Amino acid sequence: MLLELANVQKRYGGVTALRDGNLRVEPGQVHLLMGENGAGKSTLMKIVAGMVERDGGKMLWRGSEVFPHRPADSAALGIAMVHQECLLAPHLSVAENIFLGREPRSPFGFVSRRQAMARAKRIIEEHGFPLQADWIVGKLSPACKQLAEICRAVQNGSSLLIFDEPTSSLSNQETEQVFRIVRGLRDRGMAVIYITHRLEELRAIGDQVTVLRDGATVYQSPLTEISTDQLIAQMVGRPVSMTYFRPSLPTGQPILELENLSSSKVREISLCLRAGEIVGMAGLIGAGRTELCECIFGADPAQSGTIRIEGKGTEIRSPEDAVRAGVALVTEDRQRTGLALRLPIAANVTLANVASISTAGVLDLRLQNKVTNEYISKLRIRADAPEQLAGRLSGGNQQKVVIAKWLFRQARVFLFDEPTRGIDVGAKIEVFDLMSELAKAGAAILMVSSELPELLQMADRILVMRGGRITGELPRTTTQEEIMRLAALEKVA
Amino acid sequence: MKRLQGLLPFGSLLVLFVALWIASPYFLTSTNLSSLIRQTAVINIMALGMTIIIISGGIDLSVGAILAMGGLLGTMAMEKGFPIPAGIAIGLLVGLGCGMLNGFLIARLKIAPFIVTLGTLGVFRGSTLLISNGLPVHQIPPAFSFLGEGNLLGVPFVLWVLVVCAAGMHFVLEHTRLGRYAFAIGSNSAAAVYAGIPVAGYTMAVYALGGVLTGLAGMIEASRLMTGQPTAGNGYELQAIAAVVIGGGSLHGGEGSVVGTLVGAFIMGLLSNGSDLLGISNYVQQVIIGAVIILAVSVDELRKRRA
Repeated sequence: MLLELANVQKRYGGVTALRDGNLRVEPGQVHLLMGENGAGKSTLMKIVAGMVERDGGKMLWRGSEVFPHRPADSAALGIAMVHQECLLAPHLSVAENIFLGREPRSPFGFVSRRQAMARAKRIIEEHGFPLQADWIVGKLSPACKQLAEICRAVQNGSSLLIFDEPTSSLSNQETEQVFRIVRGLRDRGMAVIYITHRLEELRAIGDQVTVLRDGATVYQSPLTEISTDQLIAQMVGRPVSMTYFRPSLPTGQPILELENLSSSKVREISLCLRAGEIVGMAGLIGAGRTELCECIFGADPAQSGTIRIEGKGTEIRSPEDAVRAGVALVTEDRQRTGLALRLPIAANVTLANVASISTAGVLDLRLQNKVTNEYISKLRIRADAPEQLAGRLSGGNQQKVVIAKWLFRQARVFLFDEPTRGIDVGAKIEVFDLMSELAKAGAAILMVSSELPELLQMADRILVMRGGRITGELPRTTTQEEIMRLAALEKVA
Repeated sequence: MKRLQGLLPFGSLLVLFVALWIASPYFLTSTNLSSLIRQTAVINIMALGMTIIIISGGIDLSVGAILAMGGLLGTMAMEKGFPIPAGIAIGLLVGLGCGMLNGFLIARLKIAPFIVTLGTLGVFRGSTLLISNGLPVHQIPPAFSFLGEGNLLGVPFVLWVLVVCAAGMHFVLEHTRLGRYAFAIGSNSAAAVYAGIPVAGYTMAVYALGGVLTGLAGMIEASRLMTGQPTAGNGYELQAIAAVVIGGGSLHGGEGSVVGTLVGAFIMGLLSNGSDLLGISNYVQQVIIGAVIILAVSVDELRKRRA
């Protein structure tokens, strides 16, 4: 046994993050660590990586008890973590990042660039990564940044690597690449702990699985002994079906019409969203889907073409114009552009429509809290009070607050950019329910997603983008293969 | 418990007050207390303006220079024969104009507030010296001294001014759209833009409001000295920022309160008043105040990290 955690506990102030964490990791295995947001996965891994100290329980490394106080202590044991949000210095080269804080020294004690380059090159070649030691990290794709992180993690002979949702921002192709690397590491006898939310990728990578729920380990077994549906049930604590079914509705009037819309990043986009319709948008990373949303929303205003909303030609030069015209954008990165994390839920819910809770610039705080409480119960946001800070909510509940903000604004056009990113299974279903209800109430919805099964379950029809253009439209009965063909292949002229 | 920790700055202020009361027989006299209030009023009122600026994620290094320009032009107008209220209004309008210029440069040209106001600090200070030829204005109607030195209902008039400004700023921050947007912009300006908030306009409003309060502080300073000093307010910007920060404001934006700022300004005022009474040298005072700033912020950080 390489690593064994038994009855590990951790409290932050009055909050118990972990009450009974158990985990047994063998060398030469990929160990999946699963659980909903807030189940305690990250806390458990931070304890292993020496980023936080445990309050109780045992951590055995190769059979003897250890107490890592700092990341350096865990690194010395041979434990390395590849972080979800890249902790790399973007202005430095790959080699400099790999050896950051552990720079090779020349005989006079100066930092030796030459040695760093040579050693970095050796590591990269050893693993066959498509990477150059002198490339500047800031210019790399997300996948290559992950590779640089991995190099950094393996460079000092680690025997346990922890991956925290490494594929959440990667395209399918890049995900495949990361899988190949993880398997390669495993075959060299390393142990890998792998945290993921993406259920469809489990079987491609995992050997063992451990499920956490509410701060305690509830399930451990080889992956072959459990079905995906059982796994979900373990995570959520009740049986949940992974497949979501949404009946198609009769569609109404056109709500959003785009004609030959072009911006710096998208070309000649024409489409029509009708009331009651959910239109899916598929494509690879960089195909221009997010950029199209930003163009419609005025964050990157169109250079030519027309936008019509409910039949009326509408000029959208800024998000301000878009919001006024009834367009809502649920962004891909809710922490960056969706929420003010250090403000209360109430301030976030009312952020896009302060006018309706104020007269002559003076706020009606009682009305604000009443409205917020209504959304908290309607959207089943797990929060104590409207005054609670948005940053204290889990990913799924944060997403619901973003949606509440646009519901309160009474938007008619909803652009959902990766609406289920980083949220757990239970919350996913609730977000889907909300989207369905919105459609039923007559909103027009554009749903951008890289999760093809989700698109197939939710969308009435699916548009596919590649290279900033729409390359085709498919009915809801289409297949993943058909979508990928349009998304990835050059059109045969 | 959380409540108690929030009261910590207030508690320190109280402890300081009682300690000085015990240490010096001259502390709790009406003469000393009024002079304490008069001394701190200027920084207090500037710090109120700085509070909303810092909450919106900005900073204004030019307030000391704005104070001098407002005070100078206001008193110059009086020297030229304008009535006192008109002179005061001119001081406020100068503050408003300077604040709007700062806000405009920050919001429209999207230059970092630190850089913009570092630049305008020089521009405002230099212009003030140019206009005045470096010479102070002395020919001021004697009645003008009431603003800074007069009493109303037995307490210094500036105390009433301060109370009105503080109550007004508290109302703006907690109960108006401007205040709400200042918090939103400071907490996450990208999210504010994406929520359709006219960020540029409100940023200008925030700096303009800060400017008006600074102009008022400038007139009070001029009234206390009974001169329009082109060199007035040198270094006041740092004291105003310190007051906000001691009171729990965050330079990352999105955090801060009027009560906190007042407590912060009074803590600094008490420290300097107390040092004077106890005969502690000016050099030591600076060390103490510097240390208190760091102490206050680290206590606040610890509290936030644990919460």
